[in-house]
Amino acid sequence: MMTEMMFGLRRSARTLLERDGCPGPGPGRLGLVMARAGVGKTAFLVGIGLDALLAGQNVLHISLQSSVDKARAWYDDLLTELLRRERKLEHRAEIQLAIERRRHIHTYAGRAFTPDKLRQAVELLREAMGFVPQVVIFDQPDLASVERSTVEALRATAAGLGAELWMACRTHRDGPQAAPGHLPPPADRIEDLVDLAFRLEPQESKVRLRVVKDREHMLDRDLNLVLDPETLLLVTGVTPRR
Amino acid sequence: MSSSVDRIRNIGISAHIDSGKTTLTERILFYTRKIHAIHEVKGKDGVGATMDHMELERERGITITSASTSVEWRGHNINIIDTPGHVDFTIEVERALRVLDGAVLVLCAVAGVQSQSISVDRQMRRYRVPRVAFINKCDRTGANPERVVRALRDKLGHRPVLLQLPIGLEAAFEGVVDLIDMRAVYFRGASGEDIEFGPIPAAMQAVSEERRAELIDTASLFSDELLEAALDGNATPELLREAVRRGTLALELTPVLLGSAYKNKGVQKLLDGVVDFLPSPAEVPIEAVDLENDSAPVQLVSDPTAQTVVYAFKLDEGRYGQLTFIRVYQGTLAKGDTVVQTRTGRKIRIGRVVRLHADSMEDIAAAEAGDIVGLFGIDCHTGDTLVGDGPRLAMTAMHVPDPVISLAVKPADNKSQVNMSKALSRFAKEDPTFRVTQDQESGETIISGMGELHLDVYVERMRREYGAAVETGAPQVAYREAISRRAEFDYLHRKQTGGSGQYAKVAGYIEPCEDRDYELDNQIRGGAIPTEFIPACDKGFRSALAKGSLIGSPIVGVRVVLVDGNSHPVDSSDLAFQVAARAAFRDAYRRAAPRILEPLMRVSVEGAAEFQGAIFRTLLHRRGTVIGSQEDEGFARIEAEVPLGEMFGYATELRSATQGKAEYTMEFARYAPVPREVSEELLAHYKNRAAHEEE
Repeated sequence: MMTEMMFGLRRSARTLLERDGCPGPGPGRLGLVMARAGVGKTAFLVGIGLDALLAGQNVLHISLQSSVDKARAWYDDLLTELLRRERKLEHRAEIQLAIERRRHIHTYAGRAFTPDKLRQAVELLREAMGFVPQVVIFDQPDLASVERSTVEALRATAAGLGAELWMACRTHRDGPQAAPGHLPPPADRIEDLVDLAFRLEPQESKVRLRVVKDREHMLDRDLNLVLDPETLLLVTGVTPRR
Repeated sequence: MSSSVDRIRNIGISAHIDSGKTTLTERILFYTRKIHAIHEVKGKDGVGATMDHMELERERGITITSASTSVEWRGHNINIIDTPGHVDFTIEVERALRVLDGAVLVLCAVAGVQSQSISVDRQMRRYRVPRVAFINKCDRTGANPERVVRALRDKLGHRPVLLQLPIGLEAAFEGVVDLIDMRAVYFRGASGEDIEFGPIPAAMQAVSEERRAELIDTASLFSDELLEAALDGNATPELLREAVRRGTLALELTPVLLGSAYKNKGVQKLLDGVVDFLPSPAEVPIEAVDLENDSAPVQLVSDPTAQTVVYAFKLDEGRYGQLTFIRVYQGTLAKGDTVVQTRTGRKIRIGRVVRLHADSMEDIAAAEAGDIVGLFGIDCHTGDTLVGDGPRLAMTAMHVPDPVISLAVKPADNKSQVNMSKALSRFAKEDPTFRVTQDQESGETIISGMGELHLDVYVERMRREYGAAVETGAPQVAYREAISRRAEFDYLHRKQTGGSGQYAKVAGYIEPCEDRDYELDNQIRGGAIPTEFIPACDKGFRSALAKGSLIGSPIVGVRVVLVDGNSHPVDSSDLAFQVAARAAFRDAYRRAAPRILEPLMRVSVEGAAEFQGAIFRTLLHRRGTVIGSQEDEGFARIEAEVPLGEMFGYATELRSATQGKAEYTMEFARYAPVPREVSEELLAHYKNRAAHEEE
């Protein structure tokens, strides 16, 4: 019953992006969300993570910019908001416990991150805790500071786990624009590694979601999805597919 | 001694255990001529540090209760509260923070920002206390102040500004380069009392200039004057100091100073930092509430001539009776004055006013706004507000957490019985997180507190200070009960036993309530239950909450919605409605899927990264949920939530699993439902106990 209820709470855009029977970009593949500063890339990624947790998947959330507490607070706030909307706040303690058992937040202070260290950490989590993630969130919006080799290594680690990988990319209003048929800088450097790419576009009091790459096809399609600008969750009324 | 309010600094010294804060305080006392010799925390002379004034503290090398002392530096009166480093004593830290205007965050140059620093920093943020960081132990092998500065930014989210660079490190640590005055500072003499200034060593000139430019860049965010002067190449030390001060007071900057208290280096510059960058009482907005005016907020002013407002933040029983530590927020408090205790309305005459110096004191005639002093001969509780003639003002209450662990204590003999009672009544008065109750069934005395160590220390103090030999039972976790779904009630209480009978009917429902322990929502319309009986219903529901039917623990998180009822013109009474409400609740409770909750502790383990796997395993063995982990250059910090009932003896397991290379802190996080197997075990245990008691 709890599983059913948790599944019914899902309101992330990921629920509508099902391909080949699984949501998101699929195992071993990379999903990228692009937006200007302040539009809500981290909230969107946390929404993806929470969606996977509510669907019963294991999530590894890696952050190079937040402490464990801060990253956790994102999830807690979003969960509280979902439960508040659904008038199910009384189940918060149980759901929180259930999702925390399936989530691990791993952060790196300062310059401590390397892809190799992450690979070791993943191995350690499997050995010591039996934790194998099905979704990996890499929360570092400044993609310009991430080497291409790092993205390759992250994708390889995710592929080794059979997990989908999600990253964010900050774009600039005044910076160089995307060449026709390509992702905008700095995402263009890793375009061939990206399987699914979205753009978040703020529009007055809402945010619209456009898909700009789907596997090998470059597109610019409005998904007709309206997101809540505070939480980056789908506005109510959309039901997830099982 | 200066008496002007802008020449007062009320500061705390807070840090992780063993960061050297007591050693630092000892040096401060020495350089400000409050003591004439330095004693180490675990010194060979057997004297112990002056601020660690309780015997037990001296023996264990830890600070348990905050000792307050007053010193003078550069014409400023600095009141220092030394605060404990162990999280079990956070009420002491919270009390100190409530009355302080600024703080020194002591960090170890080797270990960096440790778990306790994080929890103390969280508390400081809550009370909006500006801080100056002091990176201590720069003489130790492995000292790396730059790493600590990064950790201040990454782990605590500060914007640290390094005001000094070390001249040499580890055994070669000689002094510091002052980046504001751009000169080298050395600490000479047997105890570092002779300060010598000199030119910056040639090898450090370039890096010093570069770091000063960075400092100016950051500080100029808080001062247009500095920005303009910097553009003209004329950023003076005065402008720079003023800008750093503004940033610090706005809680936007953390000035960082360096030193080694043990080696007598850097302490005087830290005192300069306290005077230069931390606020005077006049710069900190303080609010009280006016109890005669619907608790309207009142802004207090640091004016010695205004109405006196005094806050009692700590009690201590000494040789001369109860010593009450107070802060004067407004007005003046003089010997012989009469003030009113806001809580009771009682008048209190002030006997002695003393300025405190660890375990010695000097009598003074009066204390003015901003000052922290002690009072003798008054009877009050921690958290009381005392006011002079005028409105009945009260300072807002401190956040006091509920105890999570309890222990049965039994005196070993008759003499101990009397002494134990004396000790317990004193401890409970001094420490709001320490509670003493009597188990109604077994008649045992139960002490409750915030952790194992918290209670251990009080048991030990009973033995040492009161000569009370006590036996203790096994620690008991404070479980709670809660409902998980809505259940209706419709209960009629009717009794006719000759004379006037009893009649009361209540109807409604109970449902889980997230944010409160209990709430009564009266939705009765049209007088189905007369208004005068609603308080009796409330009383009845509350009394039912005291003991749940699962394991006899208090029930929390319930909203009772009263929608209907009935009364009788003759037979209804307060008593009848109390009985009806209690029975109705008990009946509905059974159908509301009640469950047992246990206290979850936030456990933070820190150790060498190579032991991460071993640490994970120790936490999982104890039903812990690992929330996350952080890696930082060879160190790892693991955050987990573990049921308190599983944490006994964890220190020993952690030590053996990590070859002693990890340590942990824990604090109460929240209550959460217990898993089914634990619930069954607890239910069986309660059932057995009840059957046993019945026999």
